[in-house]
Amino acid sequence: MGAKMQTNKTDGKFTVPIGPQHPALKEPAFFSINVDGEIVTNAYVRLGYAHRGIEKAAEDRNWVQTLYLLERICGICSHIHSTAYCLGVEKLAGMEVPPRAQAIRVLVAELERIHSHLLWLGVASHEAGFDTLFMYSWRDRETVMDILEGLTGNRVNYSANLLGGVKYDIDSAQADSIRQGLEFLQERLNYYLGIVTSDALFLKRTRGIGRMTRNQAEVLGAVGPTARASNVARDIRIEAPYSAYEHFHVSIILETNGDLEARFVVRIKEMLESCRLINEILDSLPEGELVMRMKRRINPGETVVRVEAPRGELFYFIKSNGTDKPERIKVRTPTICNMSSVVKLAIGSQLADVPVILAGIDPCFSCNDRSVHIDHRSSKTCRWTWEELRKYGIRYYNGDHS
Amino acid sequence: MDKKIALTTARLLVEDLSGKVESPETDRLDFYLSDPKNLIVAAAGLRVKHLGYLAAITGYDPGSDQEILEVLYHFCTGYATITLRVTIPKTSPKIQTLTEIIPGAEPFERELSEMYGVEVIGLRNPDHLYLPDDWPGGVYPLRKDFQAQILEESR
Repeated sequence: MGAKMQTNKTDGKFTVPIGPQHPALKEPAFFSINVDGEIVTNAYVRLGYAHRGIEKAAEDRNWVQTLYLLERICGICSHIHSTAYCLGVEKLAGMEVPPRAQAIRVLVAELERIHSHLLWLGVASHEAGFDTLFMYSWRDRETVMDILEGLTGNRVNYSANLLGGVKYDIDSAQADSIRQGLEFLQERLNYYLGIVTSDALFLKRTRGIGRMTRNQAEVLGAVGPTARASNVARDIRIEAPYSAYEHFHVSIILETNGDLEARFVVRIKEMLESCRLINEILDSLPEGELVMRMKRRINPGETVVRVEAPRGELFYFIKSNGTDKPERIKVRTPTICNMSSVVKLAIGSQLADVPVILAGIDPCFSCNDRSVHIDHRSSKTCRWTWEELRKYGIRYYNGDHS
Repeated sequence: MDKKIALTTARLLVEDLSGKVESPETDRLDFYLSDPKNLIVAAAGLRVKHLGYLAAITGYDPGSDQEILEVLYHFCTGYATITLRVTIPKTSPKIQTLTEIIPGAEPFERELSEMYGVEVIGLRNPDHLYLPDDWPGGVYPLRKDFQAQILEESR
């Protein structure tokens, strides 16, 4: 990779490479960060360590096999990928999916949003040095994981979607257990909302940090909660309702500050909104079939599908040539949009804030292992792990600037 | 913005630059630009009129027997998707960068360049974004004539 630490002797600036491997956290990415003392002056990103050539592989599989392939793009938001794909293929085939199936799709998608946001809440508070919140939020996340397992048999990669409908129904006993779980979650989420907006120590790590203005968010093309925390009203569920969102309406959650605190608040409020929506769906679940018969060959044509993944807009372009295999599938995930924003946000911030700024966008690869750090004052060279950089961030904010 | 207004404004703006305009779905409008040079003007127009943000760039190779590559620039606004479609020759695929007017285009253009061998003129950082550094030169995985064996041979 050529991930070398570089020292520019003339102006005393340094390049700090971070990543790409980390065995414990999520996925790999490499960041090269230039620092002048503590201040980040430039940042670059290099992706692709988890690139598996799925767009190419999809051209070699039939429409049904591709569904299972695409569901494995992401282990956290697997359902939304298969939903986007199914919606596109059904549109090309000119099929109308039964209302009950659409409602169940949306219900699973909202459960997935809660589990993804709770996961993020834990990771982000961990990076900011608030491990108590990390442990509580991951404990509570088990509630929603149990609900998903009860519905589909799987904690991740639920495989709830089929081309033409869904696989799993919801009976009244399951509905009751979902309601019970959500009641517990709502109570916890309200508590966390109070914590992240009032805990003085935590606010030192989030308020005013990694600020992105509304204009920046628009120009850089930020999506999802990252954009909504900067007051950009971008939510596909509201702008262009798909599937059951046409009948079950979502309220948009916006914050104006655009800092890390706003990103915490937006995500927690979104989970509360998801809970409300799931309850609404359970109360008025349409009766009817779960799945329609799908043909093997799909009419030639092209379609664009946009859905709201937990991290923001997920974009699919699907082209069919009339055979049983797709001609071209383009997947644009939300993280790539937010990545260019995070790189810009890091500039001008403290090196100690980099972990939490990166985590702030909820990247689908927040893990960065090795980083090399030179202290230019003592000319001491040492190799840091991501963990050490995190600890350094916490130490720095405890007033220890050594 | 209302879907109808967005699509009508886009049509007024870009129609003269396009050879053909199609509306494959009610919420979509596809402009087949008559010349790749029109891309910058068209994209700048959409940008100034707030007709969406660049949601994605899709490359497409119609097949080994075809002499062209197609590049699709998808702009999304509220309910509408506006696509600028550019056709470039496979023998020397070149296209101007959009990063001057849309900084967020950089990762999409880097992906297009490494996956399809399209030279993006003016791109500040043309390095690989997804493919490994030791990927053989002149091999573009999303082209239809790509053979995976070539990777074994190059080792």
